[in-house]
Amino acid sequence: MPILLKLVGVRIRNQNAFQGQNQFIVVANHNSHIDTMALLASLPIRVLMKTHPVATANYFGKKKWLAFISNLFVNTVLIKQKDNALQLLEEKLKKGHSLILFPEGTRGKPGELQAFRSGIGVLLQAFPHIPFIPVWIEGTGKILPKGSFLPVPFEAEVKIGAATLATGTSVEAIVVEVQTTILDLRRSESL
Amino acid sequence: MQYLKDMTEIQQMILVILGVLVFATTLFWIWKKIKPGPQVDELMTRTKSWWVMASIFTTAAIVHPAISFIAFGLLSFAALRELSSISKSARIEDRSVIFWAYLAVPVQYFFAYMGWFAPFAVFIPVFMFTWIPFVLVLKGHTQDIARSMSVIPTHLMLTVFSISHLAYLLSLPELPQFNAGGRGLLLFVVFLTEMNDVFQFTWGKLLGRHKIIEKISPNKTWEGFIGGLLSTIGAAILLRFLTPFTTLEALGAGLLIACMGFVGDIIVSAIKRDFGLKDTGTAIKGHGGILDRIDSLAISAPFFFYYVYLICYW
Repeated sequence: MPILLKLVGVRIRNQNAFQGQNQFIVVANHNSHIDTMALLASLPIRVLMKTHPVATANYFGKKKWLAFISNLFVNTVLIKQKDNALQLLEEKLKKGHSLILFPEGTRGKPGELQAFRSGIGVLLQAFPHIPFIPVWIEGTGKILPKGSFLPVPFEAEVKIGAATLATGTSVEAIVVEVQTTILDLRRSESL
Repeated sequence: MQYLKDMTEIQQMILVILGVLVFATTLFWIWKKIKPGPQVDELMTRTKSWWVMASIFTTAAIVHPAISFIAFGLLSFAALRELSSISKSARIEDRSVIFWAYLAVPVQYFFAYMGWFAPFAVFIPVFMFTWIPFVLVLKGHTQDIARSMSVIPTHLMLTVFSISHLAYLLSLPELPQFNAGGRGLLLFVVFLTEMNDVFQFTWGKLLGRHKIIEKISPNKTWEGFIGGLLSTIGAAILLRFLTPFTTLEALGAGLLIACMGFVGDIIVSAIKRDFGLKDTGTAIKGHGGILDRIDSLAISAPFFFYYVYLICYW
C-alpha cells in the first residue's frame, strides 16, 4: 500500500506526529477516496488496527459489497446521518480506539475547506483528554476525484500536524478551533 | 599504477566519480567546521543528493542492464508526473488522457530495451503525437482542446522521449576496438551534462557580469556559459576513453553537451516561470524537483545520442 501510494504520487509529511500517541481523532479535509488510504498508510502499525475511519452509510452502506469491503480492509465505522451516529463513535472512543474523521461530511472541492459539521466538536467536548491530529490533504482530488474510477498519478501531499488538545468549552468553539488549526497547517511550509 | 591500467574504463570512471564526491564531501565538511552558514548547508544537501544519484547509476551500470532501463523508466515517470502536476495548461477532464501518456513510458522503454530502433524513434513523436489528440477529440470537449493537444505531447517529449535515449545508449550494438560500450557513453553524457551545470554555476559565481536572458534565468551569465563550455570541452577530451571518439569528435561532443544542456536548462526555467514556481518539486533533497535535475539532460541526451549515432553507426 505505501509503495502504491508513492507511485501514485502521494507524499506524507511529518509522519512522526503519531509517535507516542495512543488514542486520537484524526481530522482532515476530504477530496478523494485516496485520503482514507493515505491516512491509514501513515499510521504506525501499533495503532492501525484500533483506528476507524468514519464514513457515511448513505454512500458506503448502499451496496452490501461496498460495506463489506470497507469493513474488511479499513475497519470502517459506517454512520447514518441524523441517526444516533455519535453514539457509535463514542463507543469506539470509550474502548480506547481512535477515529479518522472528515468533518466536511463529503468530498469537497479541491483546495477548499467547507464548513465543518458539529460532530467533531461534540466528540472532543465529551472526551477532553483525547487529542485531535489536524491533517491537510492537497492534490488527491486530481488523482481520484468524486465520480471517477480511474486513479491517475499526480503529486499530492498529506501534511500531518501536531496532536492538540482542544481548549474550547462550547461545541461551536471547538469546531472553529479545529478548523483554524487545519487552515494554519495548510499555510505552513515548515513540515 | 599497474592496477589502474588493468581496470576497465567503467571501473576507472566510477573511481573518478567516487573521487569527486569524496573530495566535495570532505571539502564542504571542513568548510562547515571553519565557517558555518546557510550556503554550506545548501551545498551539503546537494552533495547528499549527488551520492544518491551516483549510487543508483553505478549499481545499474554494474548489475543487470535491465535495472538501468527500469531506473530510467521510473525517472521518466516521476518527471512526467511532476510536470503534469505543476502544469496549469492541462484541463481537469484531461486526466484520463494523461493516463495514456503514463502508459507510453513502459512501451518506450521496452523498445529501448529490445533495441528496436525504428519503433523507439517514432513511437512518441509520431504515434503518441496522434493518439493523444485523437483520444482528446473522442472526449468531445473542444474548449481549450488545442492547448491540451500541444501540452501533453510536449510533456512526453521532454520527460520520456528524451530520457529514454540515455537507456537506448545501452542497447547500441558493440563497436570493434571499443570496450566501454554503451555504459561508457551513458556515463560520459550524464557526467558531462551535470558537470557542465556545476561549471557554469561556478564560473558564473566567480566572474559573472553580463546576463544572457535576465527575464528567464537571472543567474545565467555569458562568463559562466563560456567558462562552463570550455571546462566541459576539456573534461570531454579527458574522458574520451569512455567513448569511441577521436579527440576532435570528443571536442564536438563537449561543445554539443554544453550548449544543449544550457538550452534544456532555460527551457525548463521558462516553464517554471510560467507556472509561477521556483523549484518544480521536492523529490531529491536540496535539488529542487526531479525536473530541475534533468532539465539539461532532457535536451542534451537525445542530441548526444544522435551525434553518436551519426558518427559511429551511420
